[in-house]
Amino acid sequence: MNATGRWKAATTGMRNDPAVAAAVFVLWALLALFVVYPLAMLLARVLTDNGAFTTAGLAAVLSDRHQIRAFGNSLLLALMVGTAGTVLGFLFAFTAARGRLPRWLLTAIDVAVLLPLVSPPFTTAIAMIFSFGPRGLITYDLLGLKGVTVYGLTSTFFSEVLTFFPIAYLTLRPLLAAIDSNVEGMAFSLGASRWRVFRTVTLPLTIPGLANAFLLLFAASLADFATPLILAGNQFPVLPTQAYLQITGLFDLRGGAALSFALLLPALAVFLLQRYWVSRRYYVTITGKGAGQTPFDSISPAMRAVLLAACAAVALVVVYFYVLLLYASLVVALGANHAFTLQHYRTIFSDGLKAIRDTLIIAALAMPLGGLYGILLGYLVTKKSFVGRRTMELVSMINYALPGTIVGIAYLIAFNEPPLELTGTALIIIACYIFRYGPTGIRATVALLQQIDKSLEEASQGLGAGSGVTFRRVTLPLIMPAFFAGLGVVFIRSMTAISATIFLVSISWTLITVKILENITELSLGPAAAFSVLVVAIVFAVIAIIGRVLHLFRAPGAMPMTSLLGG
Amino acid sequence: MNIIRAFLRSAARAIAAVPLLGLALFAQLVPTPAVAVDTLNVYSIWPENWARPMFEEFEKATGIKVNFVRFSSGEALARVIAEKNNPRVDVLFGGPVETFAAGIGEGLFEPYKPPSFASLPPRFRHADGQWIAIADDPLVFMSNDKFIKENGLKAPTSWNDLLAPAYKNMLQMADARTSGTAVTRIFSVLEVNGRDENKAFDYMKKLRPNVQLYTKSGGGGTLPVGLGQAGAGIFFIVDALDTKAKGYEVTISFPKEGIGTAAEGIALLKGAKNPALGKKLIDWATSPAMQGLFAKYKINFVPAHPDVALEPSLAAVLQGAKIFPIDADYAGANRKRIVDRWIAEVLNP
Repeated sequence: MNATGRWKAATTGMRNDPAVAAAVFVLWALLALFVVYPLAMLLARVLTDNGAFTTAGLAAVLSDRHQIRAFGNSLLLALMVGTAGTVLGFLFAFTAARGRLPRWLLTAIDVAVLLPLVSPPFTTAIAMIFSFGPRGLITYDLLGLKGVTVYGLTSTFFSEVLTFFPIAYLTLRPLLAAIDSNVEGMAFSLGASRWRVFRTVTLPLTIPGLANAFLLLFAASLADFATPLILAGNQFPVLPTQAYLQITGLFDLRGGAALSFALLLPALAVFLLQRYWVSRRYYVTITGKGAGQTPFDSISPAMRAVLLAACAAVALVVVYFYVLLLYASLVVALGANHAFTLQHYRTIFSDGLKAIRDTLIIAALAMPLGGLYGILLGYLVTKKSFVGRRTMELVSMINYALPGTIVGIAYLIAFNEPPLELTGTALIIIACYIFRYGPTGIRATVALLQQIDKSLEEASQGLGAGSGVTFRRVTLPLIMPAFFAGLGVVFIRSMTAISATIFLVSISWTLITVKILENITELSLGPAAAFSVLVVAIVFAVIAIIGRVLHLFRAPGAMPMTSLLGG
Repeated sequence: MNIIRAFLRSAARAIAAVPLLGLALFAQLVPTPAVAVDTLNVYSIWPENWARPMFEEFEKATGIKVNFVRFSSGEALARVIAEKNNPRVDVLFGGPVETFAAGIGEGLFEPYKPPSFASLPPRFRHADGQWIAIADDPLVFMSNDKFIKENGLKAPTSWNDLLAPAYKNMLQMADARTSGTAVTRIFSVLEVNGRDENKAFDYMKKLRPNVQLYTKSGGGGTLPVGLGQAGAGIFFIVDALDTKAKGYEVTISFPKEGIGTAAEGIALLKGAKNPALGKKLIDWATSPAMQGLFAKYKINFVPAHPDVALEPSLAAVLQGAKIFPIDADYAGANRKRIVDRWIAEVLNP
């Protein structure tokens, strides 16, 4: 079909369906308003000075040797976290998928792995500070070491790996589970050793997943702001914290924006790689055709014991961190007075009540809107043809791919003055969440719709069901998991994100995560810990409910959770 | 296809409703200043546990309710600058006056001279009333008792004591990029070295190996020192006494060469929506009415108003300490240059 023909087909498609046309129009308007416009305003701020075009601001910041070092540090850290996190995630995923573990053990692993993922930022970082260092619970009280430094690359790396490896786990586990163990079984019965089967069959089939996990972790570490803020110290500056300091410390909005833009390049490169290269190379797909599973022990009992021990060790560290957090929330002052008290919980439910209420209202409003936005956009770009379909999909991903600091500053600049005076309202925070975390729902919808073989819908119609019945009973149930996944991610991030929204809270609307940061800087560790415990509890409850709902649709829910990125 | 169309139509309707929902939020959930007449909006740089009782007392005294949100001095100033053309709040409350000095250049404030203006010593007020001081906050040395004992030291009583090898990698103090505490500290070092910049920077470079971390906020190092994760540090007295009050075993001491103090300010924002109410808060905060309440709420600031007596236990701590004010003109004129030099030569040599 030539270009004119395609144009005609596309426009006819729209003309035929006014509902589609209307939805497309509204979505474009929203994307223009909440994605393109703020970014354009930010660019304008970076590249102009009193109305004149200049790259001087950009050049001054980017040629500073300290900022160049910070840029290098960011890449190095992201590379290390990406590699180590992928290895750790694979270890857990492989053990869970192939270890023939009892159900309770699987649940235990899932809980331990999910903890860091659904926690507010800073939690691991603070536990690290308490555990390591000159008087750390582990370095001093347990090991008797002296003069240990906790600030720097090592602890930032360690803390980020623990925080982000669950992303790799969640990416790899369904993939490993989906590899037909018949293939492995055949290789084994043909005389290959277990190691050879692993090396020549299992591993090659997992490579796209590993690449995907690596890129996700790389991006997460690149954008992470909370961990380095607490742990990186003065010897290891990284770009997101430098951008934050440039703005809040030196009152240099242009310089901060310029630093954020330096992050844009690697972030975008990783995103495009992940989106257009890795995702096309998945070897495993879900089809309607089932195959009988022949049991195959891909790991020997000894190996199983080693893997389990390794996983248990990591899980133990995670659990230890959270027990410490819980403990800190229940004593008067950790390290000074260990008398039991509920005072910190009383504090957060009195002085902090407004933050809790605001956060819950914002999360509750952002959740359904984000879920709806996700399936609507996902459905339109997959199943409908209209002009600019691909562009719409790409534009919808921009706020998701950008580090939160950029998005937050862009919103602050764009929406402070009429005609779009949104700062100080809840709407600006809600919009930020919808367009930053809604894309998870879009991707889940697209992935699910692409997996539906046309034959499924045809079969339904061939058996006499009308198109309405087919949509209701075949298509809708298939995209409902995407709706709930998108909704869940928006909710979790609404409860835990800080990098963008720290710039958007106001007199009228504040957030728990911002309170946690404030408490930490004001050495009110007890309330900070109590807030964190509360967030983890709420998020776990909501995940459990969503899991229950997903279960009703008998669909895999873990897959879309892989994108719980950002900070 | 009817169902699909119906689904899309309802979805489109739902999406079209988003702006409407926004309006609804505006109307119902956002307390707009226009409706609530006696409500004042404030950015507080003082932590919430000090600001809240002060504002509650203010409401009791005047019936004016204060809506406030707390930011560190850097965040607060960055925000006020970003919102300059359309201010969200009426008053900037608390925080070192050098933060306010930085804001004058941006044209952020509406000059106002409260009734107390004439009674205040010159260093507690900006000549044109761009800002007024509400408290004074001297710097102190704070050290961890156990660390001092284990290393056979005494609580430091001289700037040079901090250079001892025992402190290697064990000091925490604030980062001059983000913290007013740090700027006051650096100007203190300049002052005790007779404003000889090279001598002062030599000292700071010698001190550098002993510094474990330059913290983002002024009080950021108090908890590590309390816990013994760091051995000692330089902090504002209000943060140091707070650490002691929490139960951490620390000692507060002063260098015999002297140490600087910084005033805490308040200012009315230009373009404030409720200027009359803002002025009432400034009148109240700069008078004994508020500053006499510091002791009641265990806020260890030194009152700026000469009519308010120093609380006895605070006076005991300050007994015999040599404390000098930082010259506002000198600091204002040299701040940026000195901080830049500190970043280049001390922080990232």
